[in-house]
Amino acid sequence: MAWGGGWGGGGGGIGGAAAATSAASGLPFGGIPAELQEGASKLLAEEPRHDPSRLTFSQIPSESERRQLTLPAMLWVYKRWVVLGSLLVIAISLLLQAGPKLTEIAINHGMARGHHSFAVISACAVIFLVLALLGTFAQRAQAQVTGKLAARVMHDLRIRVFTHYQRLSLDFFTEEKAGVLMSRMTSDIENLQQLVQDGVSQFALQGLTMIVIIAVLFATNVALATWTVLLVVPLLFVFTIWFHQASERGYLLSRDRIANVLADLSESLYGIRVVTANNRQRRNIVNHRHVVGAYRDANLYTGRVNAIYGPATIMIGILAQALLLGIGGNMVLHGQLSLGALIAFFLYLNRFFQPIQLLVQQYNALQQGRSSIIRLRELLETPPSVDELAGAPRLGTVEGRITFENVSFGYDPARLILRDVNLEIAPGESVAFVGPTGAGKSTMAKLANRFYDPTSGRVLVDGVDIKTVTLHSLRSQLGVVPQEPFLFAGTMRQNLRFGRPDATDAEVEEAIDVVGLRDLVDRLPNGVDTVVHERGQTLSAGERQLLALARAFLARPRVLILDEATSSLDLQSETVIERALDRLLEGRSAILIAHRLTTAQRADRIVVIDEGRIVEVGTPHDLLVRGGAYATMYAAWLASGGRDATRERA
Amino acid sequence: MTRTHPGDASRGPTARRYSEPVTFSLSTRDSSESHQDANPLGGVHSRYQGPRRRISRDRTLAWWRRILPVISSHRAAFITAISLSFASLVFQTLVPNLLNHAIDFSLVSHRASLTRSVVEILIVGLLAGVTGLISRQYVFATAYNVEADLRSLIYEHMTWLSFSFYDRVQSGQLISRANSDIRSVQMYSTFAPLIVVQCFIGVIAFGFMLSINVPLALIAMLVMPLLYFVSIQMRRVLFPISWITQARLAEVATIVDENVNGVRVVKSFAQEEAEINRLSDAAERVAWSYVKDAQLRALWSPWAQNLPQLGLALVLFFGGWMVIEGHLDIGAILAFNAYLLMLQAPFMMLGQLVMMGQRAKASAERIFEILDENPEIVDRPGAYDLEDVKGRVVFDHVRFAYGDLTSRDGRNEILSDVDFEIAPGETVAVVGRTGSGKSTLARLLTRFYDVSDGAITIDGHDVRDVTMRSLRANVGVVLDEPFLFSISIAENIAYGYPEASREDIIAAAEAANASEFIDQLPEGYDTVVGERGYTLSGGQRQRIAIARTLLVNPPVLILDDATSAIDVHVEAGIYEALATLLQRRTTIVIAHRVSTIALASRVLLLDEGRIVASGTHEELLATTPLYAEVLAQSTTDELGDE
Repeated sequence: MAWGGGWGGGGGGIGGAAAATSAASGLPFGGIPAELQEGASKLLAEEPRHDPSRLTFSQIPSESERRQLTLPAMLWVYKRWVVLGSLLVIAISLLLQAGPKLTEIAINHGMARGHHSFAVISACAVIFLVLALLGTFAQRAQAQVTGKLAARVMHDLRIRVFTHYQRLSLDFFTEEKAGVLMSRMTSDIENLQQLVQDGVSQFALQGLTMIVIIAVLFATNVALATWTVLLVVPLLFVFTIWFHQASERGYLLSRDRIANVLADLSESLYGIRVVTANNRQRRNIVNHRHVVGAYRDANLYTGRVNAIYGPATIMIGILAQALLLGIGGNMVLHGQLSLGALIAFFLYLNRFFQPIQLLVQQYNALQQGRSSIIRLRELLETPPSVDELAGAPRLGTVEGRITFENVSFGYDPARLILRDVNLEIAPGESVAFVGPTGAGKSTMAKLANRFYDPTSGRVLVDGVDIKTVTLHSLRSQLGVVPQEPFLFAGTMRQNLRFGRPDATDAEVEEAIDVVGLRDLVDRLPNGVDTVVHERGQTLSAGERQLLALARAFLARPRVLILDEATSSLDLQSETVIERALDRLLEGRSAILIAHRLTTAQRADRIVVIDEGRIVEVGTPHDLLVRGGAYATMYAAWLASGGRDATRERA
Repeated sequence: MTRTHPGDASRGPTARRYSEPVTFSLSTRDSSESHQDANPLGGVHSRYQGPRRRISRDRTLAWWRRILPVISSHRAAFITAISLSFASLVFQTLVPNLLNHAIDFSLVSHRASLTRSVVEILIVGLLAGVTGLISRQYVFATAYNVEADLRSLIYEHMTWLSFSFYDRVQSGQLISRANSDIRSVQMYSTFAPLIVVQCFIGVIAFGFMLSINVPLALIAMLVMPLLYFVSIQMRRVLFPISWITQARLAEVATIVDENVNGVRVVKSFAQEEAEINRLSDAAERVAWSYVKDAQLRALWSPWAQNLPQLGLALVLFFGGWMVIEGHLDIGAILAFNAYLLMLQAPFMMLGQLVMMGQRAKASAERIFEILDENPEIVDRPGAYDLEDVKGRVVFDHVRFAYGDLTSRDGRNEILSDVDFEIAPGETVAVVGRTGSGKSTLARLLTRFYDVSDGAITIDGHDVRDVTMRSLRANVGVVLDEPFLFSISIAENIAYGYPEASREDIIAAAEAANASEFIDQLPEGYDTVVGERGYTLSGGQRQRIAIARTLLVNPPVLILDDATSAIDVHVEAGIYEALATLLQRRTTIVIAHRVSTIALASRVLLLDEGRIVASGTHEELLATTPLYAEVLAQSTTDELGDE
């Protein structure tokens, strides 16, 4: 499978070709096209088996992870390759610029009148050939070195950023848009990949090439070199800077406008029913023409800039040649310059333009890379809001006593959601939180497993303030079944084992039986090895919740938190679930956040929460008898058609 | 709705073959609409006039011939671009020859004036620059106009397609086709001719070389076929690895996506370490394919860059020998050098052209797949406008299935035999289990779909006999998914009636009980909502959707589960306002809340594709056990959904 051995050692063994195909099928363009399949399979056959990673995670970042992110620091980890690559770049810029100089020698000493020498010509040609070949091989070596360097550096960076994601707290993930977080790990890192692989070395190579050429020109003839450099370089440079700025503006403009085009297109498609129902087709077509037209206009602007720059540089080149001919030719006529040297000047002049244009091309990559680095640095410097104390001890195996001590909490401290809550849950006791939406039930659960820290007050597990122990030791003993069960791409077995990757097959089967997933598993084409994923339609909402329950069951937490976990079940599966709940709750403390009061009725105690305060606490029976808030809720529940759990139990 | 195509009359029969509209409703240009302004996205305006020609509907033609009409509608610019760029290239190839002559005649043998050569080159250089500059303007203009045309065409086409099409395909896929595929077709169809022109430079340069010295020209060209081979080879090996890399980057993206969206689960089970290792494995595979990519590139790309250098060494060797033998002048060495460098690009591009062609063909075929779709629901010839609607709605033995009913096995049949009548001004509630076909009733009455059998009439007019535009103007529907556009709230409310005044908009918002929360928004009615703006809750969106329909003020109104996400007490407020509004119009309410149903004077109970009972709420409660069951079930669902 695509995810190799990292997921608790499951999967991993299946060969390369299959992996690429299956992974590719998840792409927007749906897999490797048939005509490339053969080539792809051949390449994949060469891939060695990668050893599964054995990285460790700790909430507190290491010394090196705390250092500021800079490109040189990332590269310097691989000093040897950096040095080797630099030497190769120097070699290339020298080897590949020898041609014109050799041509000059061949002309002056082999072809010029009175200097005919075939030996000199053939020696020059052979040296030219050999140097060009050497240059080619040096380029090959350099490309391999920088390729490897870029791949390793980006691998390190991916892990570093992803590890930081794991350290960050829940509030970060709710505040930041998912798309932004995605692009940090994808496009930003890919920008840098491009920069390290091609950008940096090209920059160095082309810069060096220009220096080498200028040096050779000055060594040949100072006067003509001065003329050449003065005529060409400033003009080309100014022009190139103008081009860069103008095209950057055009690029940004067309990027915004294409985003508009796509947004308009996608809204029109997703809202096609509203469009049709409101007879908006014609108006929208005209509107889309404006949006597309604005994009076209931006493109035309960029096109104009390009249309000016390309031919203009060619023109500068030709005009420079004409002037060089005039000035240099006169020098030749006056015997101040050899003909070979003039020809060498022409040859070098042609080679002047390529580096400048390549430098401009790389300039964009450099800019993008720089802003990516800045964004990544900001991300890596964002501290988690829920963090571990340095040297925090592990929380030992817990009994399951949970204490809320004067707890107040608000995402925004000015607007408290919980106010001065005091509650103690005894080991093995199950407590149901009920109350209207927004009363703070889920927030209580989020504080218990430290998704958030209370604004004031303390949460204790077995009498230990949960802020003082490691997050891993706390959370691995608290199992949460969230409101919206999340499935990871992979088989059902892998999803079930998520909380405890070392669970045996027998345990997986047991969990399936306990929560009542057996029917579903029997129905799936590959049973428990059927691939499911988050946006897939394989499982219904109810089935997903059963799966989430089984996942929690398999993780064997000491404390269980069910966040409205039975809400999207139909009546039949609800009965199955309730039976499973009895098994799940056996011997563990549990917090049940329930909308269906049938579920609440199963708890040992019910806590009624309203507007951030505990209004009522007691056994289900007591509360019903007392005739308070809960009794009112229960009556309303029955009236609206809810199942009467009291009668069933009797 | 205009039925005749304004452009049709002027077009000859041959033009029609390429530009025939998909249906009469798909006019490319309609003078009445070109001055309308509805520009939500940043208020962008453009002089762009829309496509002048469409893609040929003849499926037997080769793909590029189908696109030809669009390109040929810009033929003036296109031909200018090609001919001028040809001229520019000829001027460029002249330069080395002029230099050659200058060196040989002015510097070596002193037979000609140096100044004259300099002036000649200056003039040629200026001409090359100016023609190049103008030609590229036109090249880009053609390219981007063709792209805009293709984008508009596909958008217009998709706008008119029927819902059955959207049920079948994923919108994401359509967007990708409408974006990247258009780009690759546009790239090829406009740049390919240009590359061909570029290749002509090769022919001309070769001609000049031959004119200087035939054997040396042949020797110099020796490396060029190799260059072509290398560039083909390079793409052949690099294509698969770049696909593999993309696939593996997607794997990494999937893991990141899961960890961002599933962060609660990862943290709840303290599985950070396992996830990091999972990512590391995926990243390792990315690293391998990047390294492989670099290796393959390293294998071929230096050759592509340096083969001309080898050619230059050959020229130096043989040319030098010929100079000594007196067969060649020194200036030729320089000219050959320049020509070889000029030839490098065309030979490499030739390889690129082949690959681009393959991609463009595949992309074009994907685009045609969409453009060859025909809207299933169109106005019947002779359809007339529905006017002065009283609101008598009749479903006459209606049967319906999404897709095909002809098999008659009844398995996908949603409505089996629905037969009922609603009097003008009556409010009727439709109740039924999930999947019983309630929403389908709404979709048939608005003709989002056509009935498979039977008929639906409004005031005795079959909905298939009247124009869709007039039908939908008279039948308003509030859909179960309250979709809002990324425009201001006012514009969203006025979506069906863009000319509405601000007072009307506010009145509609008040009737939908939305004015209170809108007033509290940072910019009130001008707050931009949706994906690119302010996020509203489900209930708030529903209220705006209701206001949107109320503003149109249709004689027949359908509320399809339109208040499901609205709090019960807010809902009561809406219905209070509605109660007066509804008195004057025929209303169908699809709902499951008792409070909503109470609005209706009659309830229709829908089960297994039939109306199984009809009567007041109390009557059905008393007589039909299924009714009570359905109500109870939906109440439970709703409580759970909160």
